[in-house]
Amino acid sequence: MQQSKITEYLEAVRQQIRWKRAQAPVLEEIRNHITDQKQAFIREGLNEETATERAIAEMGDPFVVGEQLDRAHRPRSDWPLLVMTAAMLLLGLVIQYLVGPNIPFGAESFGRQIVWAGIAILAMFAAYFMDFTILGKYSKGVFLVLCAITIASLFGEQVRGSSVAAIYPLLLFPTAFAGVVYSMRNKGYVGLALCVAAFMIPAYLSMRIPSVTVLFLLCISYLIILTVAVGKGWFNVRKPLAILMMYISTAIILSATFFTMRDYGYVMRRMQIVFNPLRDPTASGYLGSMAQLLLSHSQLIGPGLPIKGYGDYSVFRLLPDANTDYLLTHLVYRFGWIVFIGIVVLVSIFIMRAILLCKKQKSILGSLVSIAIISTFVIQCIVYIVINLGLLLLSPVSLPLISYGGRALVTNMFLIGLMLSVFRTGDLVRDKAGVEGTVVNSSSFIQYDNGQIIINLRNPFIK
Amino acid sequence: MAIDKSLLTGSTTMLVLKLLDGTDMYGYQMIEGLSKQSNNVFRLKAGTLYPLLHTLEQKDMLISYEETADNARVRKYYRITKKGRKHLHEKKEEWKTYTAAVNDLLGGAGFATV
Repeated sequence: MQQSKITEYLEAVRQQIRWKRAQAPVLEEIRNHITDQKQAFIREGLNEETATERAIAEMGDPFVVGEQLDRAHRPRSDWPLLVMTAAMLLLGLVIQYLVGPNIPFGAESFGRQIVWAGIAILAMFAAYFMDFTILGKYSKGVFLVLCAITIASLFGEQVRGSSVAAIYPLLLFPTAFAGVVYSMRNKGYVGLALCVAAFMIPAYLSMRIPSVTVLFLLCISYLIILTVAVGKGWFNVRKPLAILMMYISTAIILSATFFTMRDYGYVMRRMQIVFNPLRDPTASGYLGSMAQLLLSHSQLIGPGLPIKGYGDYSVFRLLPDANTDYLLTHLVYRFGWIVFIGIVVLVSIFIMRAILLCKKQKSILGSLVSIAIISTFVIQCIVYIVINLGLLLLSPVSLPLISYGGRALVTNMFLIGLMLSVFRTGDLVRDKAGVEGTVVNSSSFIQYDNGQIIINLRNPFIK
Repeated sequence: MAIDKSLLTGSTTMLVLKLLDGTDMYGYQMIEGLSKQSNNVFRLKAGTLYPLLHTLEQKDMLISYEETADNARVRKYYRITKKGRKHLHEKKEEWKTYTAAVNDLLGGAGFATV
């Protein structure tokens, strides 16, 4: 009988709290309080019924309480990040528009990018209102589904010999991986080993595209996620040992795969060009060398100086992919380094704010997912910039939100939406029970807790 | 005697922070603690306390964590942060200034200014 009175009271409070997700944790705290108060009254000698009524009365008017709690618990969007996302998206479209007239099919590309932008915005809002905790609850399922999608994409569209369609599902892997790490936490060295093993699947798939850039992105983000997880003690292992094991096993596996490739001599020669395109400026190192050439003719503000020796070819033919892979290089040549600086500043501010909010995350799942997403974003940016400076010769994935490419745009916007969802609701996320990060391991036979030695005879291993 | 509510609300934050400055507590403990230490002058209503705690946590003045009690109940404990301590210090200074001024105005032999 008394329980129903308490439930009635809680229900009245609940109805004042508009944000559904906040209701459960808040009401639990209130329920515990009423119970504590009731026990106190019972100890003072009141009977259960009176104690319950008095305890409820002590709480106060449920509507007032509920209303105050409602005010304290509103979902808060992070406006700076939303604004910056919109800014980057808009910037990307403006740049596409400016570059359009100069490249083949420019106008059509711009039109298509606008359509993709619309779809991307929808994807972002879908992710924004999604409950990101499913990444924690169904981590293995999500991971497997993503593997299946990636494998299917490997048989899709081929561009210049690579299955480019598989790049985009792979971009989502760090985030899915974060969920897997979350589910493996507290499982010690075994859990850690399983995570390393899990990572090998997307890594292998990226090599089947083949895309060194994606492989690199996956490796770095996976190392970041695991290092943070081990570093914060979420695996319950000896940190220096675990970190060493992790990095060494990854290095071994990657080198082993590399050296067992059929034509690894050829790959070695290509890798040399990757890191120094100027070794072969007219053939395999062409793009990187040309990028460096354009940049060396660029000014701080204003168009770059004409390039001698290439006849009448426009820069857009000399260095193709102006709207996709080499957007920054062309912008610098046409408008000056100032544009580059501006874009780098905007992107950096976005990244720094996102990292700040990642650090403020209180839940393990929230931290892992947001770190995974921001890593994906940062690595894409860094790789793109380095390639556009002509220092590396790889095919960049994208400059998130800015470079041309519908699927990249949708994927990146989806990830950003997911990250914003974490920032908005992360405070309410409870890491599932059964995780005892810092609490004594309750399954041990003998425990020392707070000055007492407790011998647990209820342990199932003792009959 | 019962204190006028308007006198209470302004300083409730300060009192809660002061309680937590000593040790981590959960909601019910705070109400009991406050009542005992003030000789039952401050009888804070739970319905006022929890919204306050949640707001302070959102302002990063407190952090909360959960601990399982012996009877398998999970309790939410609150701990003061550096920002919280700073705020407490500011409010304490504010309070001292305020009370000194009021006492001066109310007068009496002990408060005469030279």
